[in-house]
Amino acid sequence: MKISRAWLQAFFDTPLPDADTLADALTFHVFEIDGIEQHGDDHILDVKVTANRGHDCLSYRGIAKEISAILNIPLKNHPLGDKLNLSPQTDAVSVSIDDPRCHRYIAGYIRDVKVAPSPQWLVSYLEKMGQKSINNVVDATNFVMFNIGAPLHAFDAGKLKTKNEKYQIDIRPAREGEKLLALDGKEYTLNPSILVISNDSTAIGVAGVKGGMPASITEDTKDIIIEAASFDGAAVRKAAQHMKLRTDASARFEQGMSPEWPAYAMRDMVLLIQQIAGGEIVGFTDAYPVKQEIKPVSVTLDHINKTLGMSITTDEVSDVFTRLGLLFVQEPVISQTYHHGDKSDLSPAPVFTVTPPFERLDLTIPEELIEEVGRHLGYDKVPSTPLPPSTALPEINHSFAAAERIREDLIAQGYSEVFTSVFAEKGERVVANKVDGVRPYLRTTLIDGLTEALKKNIPNKDLLGLKEIKLFEIGTVWPDAKEIQMVGTITEKGKASEKPLSEHTQNVGHPMSYINLPTSAAIRYAPYSRYPYIVRDIAFWTPSTLHHEANVGSVGSYISDVFKKESGELLQRVALFDTFTKADKTSLAFRLIFQSFEKTLTDEEVNLIMQKVSTVLSAKGFEIR
Amino acid sequence: MPERGHIHPISSLIREANRIFFDMGFTFAEGPLLEDEWHNFDALNVPQDHPARDMQDTFFIKPHIASQQGPTLLSSARSDLAVTEVLRTHTSPVQIRYMEEQIKKGIQPPYRIIVPGKVFRNEATDMTHEAEFFQIEGLVVGEGISLAHLKGTLEAFFAGIFRDASVEIRFRPSFFPFTEPSVEVDMRLVGEHVPEKLRNRWIEMMGAGLVHPNVLKNAGVDPHTYSGFAFGMGLDRLALLRWGIDDIRHMHSADLRFVNQF
Repeated sequence: MKISRAWLQAFFDTPLPDADTLADALTFHVFEIDGIEQHGDDHILDVKVTANRGHDCLSYRGIAKEISAILNIPLKNHPLGDKLNLSPQTDAVSVSIDDPRCHRYIAGYIRDVKVAPSPQWLVSYLEKMGQKSINNVVDATNFVMFNIGAPLHAFDAGKLKTKNEKYQIDIRPAREGEKLLALDGKEYTLNPSILVISNDSTAIGVAGVKGGMPASITEDTKDIIIEAASFDGAAVRKAAQHMKLRTDASARFEQGMSPEWPAYAMRDMVLLIQQIAGGEIVGFTDAYPVKQEIKPVSVTLDHINKTLGMSITTDEVSDVFTRLGLLFVQEPVISQTYHHGDKSDLSPAPVFTVTPPFERLDLTIPEELIEEVGRHLGYDKVPSTPLPPSTALPEINHSFAAAERIREDLIAQGYSEVFTSVFAEKGERVVANKVDGVRPYLRTTLIDGLTEALKKNIPNKDLLGLKEIKLFEIGTVWPDAKEIQMVGTITEKGKASEKPLSEHTQNVGHPMSYINLPTSAAIRYAPYSRYPYIVRDIAFWTPSTLHHEANVGSVGSYISDVFKKESGELLQRVALFDTFTKADKTSLAFRLIFQSFEKTLTDEEVNLIMQKVSTVLSAKGFEIR
Repeated sequence: MPERGHIHPISSLIREANRIFFDMGFTFAEGPLLEDEWHNFDALNVPQDHPARDMQDTFFIKPHIASQQGPTLLSSARSDLAVTEVLRTHTSPVQIRYMEEQIKKGIQPPYRIIVPGKVFRNEATDMTHEAEFFQIEGLVVGEGISLAHLKGTLEAFFAGIFRDASVEIRFRPSFFPFTEPSVEVDMRLVGEHVPEKLRNRWIEMMGAGLVHPNVLKNAGVDPHTYSGFAFGMGLDRLALLRWGIDDIRHMHSADLRFVNQF
């Protein structure tokens, strides 16, 4: 979620540190930061709120709470601290929840608001979030959502039907094929797995995802009904997936949200509406069938220390819980004698029992409390401890041992190892949802991939300095409704073949350890040129002064040096490929590979180099053949 | 004698990793690439219809038609019995399979395994993303296994892989459904032999944490008696760092201009 430093400051009296310090505080104690952007004289942090904290941290309030705990700066006021009083109640709106996937629904009825452009501060706040201002009422719902984390919606009451001068709002499953023109201008076809907000049997919104056009706020809107609700996360997620529409609201609901939230969102919304759009509060209707149950969670100090591998004190634990605003009881209460006496007085181990605040749906087991302690104290304080010596010898994996042996055998025979894709043009098993759509099958053989790989490598034979391309792959295939590991080989001259790895496994026997095989000795990888290369062969008689057989090696390296000097970086490879002696003369033949990293070389460029090489060699007494 | 061929850098890394971990008492474990949703997700505490399931883009495989008796078996009466199969999105399902197997054999922890192997993500590919790549998973279960043991083990592993450097490790908070607490592991290489691009720089290496009690429970291990740590690291990424490889797509290119450098 995008977090503006300036907006965040509104939660504190103390000036906040700079954006980098905030980013570090969050990174090392709660969430990763995907980036920091300068926005005028403000900075926007892109905070990667993890999927377990969507309940309470997809908001300025949530991030402010974390910052307050991490940096130990008090919050200006506690947005959830005050006792709530949504009054007066009204019977002008009646709400009926017809599906258990709606956990709570509060309707707030305000008459005579003035829909108008938003004040500048609100426009600029939403702009920081990458949101375009629509009008003061709609903007207020978005502002409150970002600010405290609970989504809201506003309906134009004037567009709703009344019965006996009362508005009736139902939360019900959509009918099969029921259609809704949503606020994004698209018509969606719904089904009973999707919850809708309904008035007079007509859907006016999809619960937790998007409002509908039939009750949209316009300049002519006078009376509004504000929705603050809580829906089942999985239901909202399914609806959003069906509609292919992930909204700021659905992203918050789908992680699960406490049914206590709507009341706070409604309170803030009504205050803001009065401030920027006026109007008269008629009252509220609150349908809240099953109150949220909050279960205390206990953890012992011993469990905390055993899990983190640290020696944390009770004081440190209570400090973390206090900073995080977690209500807790510590038992047994440590007696005064502790400060003077023996440590053994401490037993039994202290236990912390935390009653999580309603919004912290992530705190349900001791390990989650341990995480709170660990991350707040800082994981840099976790020491490094080696594992205790192993009590048993590890088992030998026979299939891996066999694969290793085959790998070494093939490499010794000049085969190089490749991996080709498991995805194929044909096969038995097919991917249902492949993003790129190509090669949707799982391969049944390694042969096709190896054949393709061979074809691809043959043109590079000279560049690679190989006489023959020989490849192997040890990989998984899916033939005959089975998954098996296969060993496949292919060479230019021979035929491709493959054999299940299991047929090799019996050769391995029951070794007590793995054979010690060489690993790659490569130090650094050097990128290769993507441009075509040019091959030139050159042969010459060596001067009689140098023709002695034993000297061929040193003559060869002398000549290689000449080639390198004259052709610079363009010479990729030089290889002596033929020598013979006739009478008293020795002929040497070299193959030269030229290639540029910047462009396709022309014959003319290479000819020029070859001419230079010939000139130098002729001058030294070599006779070009 | 023909000239020796070349080992793929991933195979070389697996060979090296296995050697380092074998000496620390780890068994090399394997599991199928085509997994059921239970092992790939549910048993790992990734619930159906939870956003955590979106953290990984999954290849779903259509039910196996060739093995069915006839079209009638594909009727709706049977479809709810069908197990949805996926290409495993991580090596973590082998945690479950291994523990289940041990419990079935009546063998209680301690367990120490590594799981090197291929995994899949259904996403567009680029220089740093591949649809098929390799991971190495580690799992240790025993009495009193802590986050400090995780740190010690990873330090020993990286010290073995980056032999010319001195290696530092740091943890940052994170979230994975199958570990609690969860951490992101960064590594820093210090020393004159470290290429300048990597020297003294924190690099994100993997996700890790202590095994979530639900995961132990789902595999039949008593979470009150035992605890454990687990980690999962991209081997392709490790190879990229180790050898300064410029593009992850080289790994499956089957191009000897790449492979023959190793």
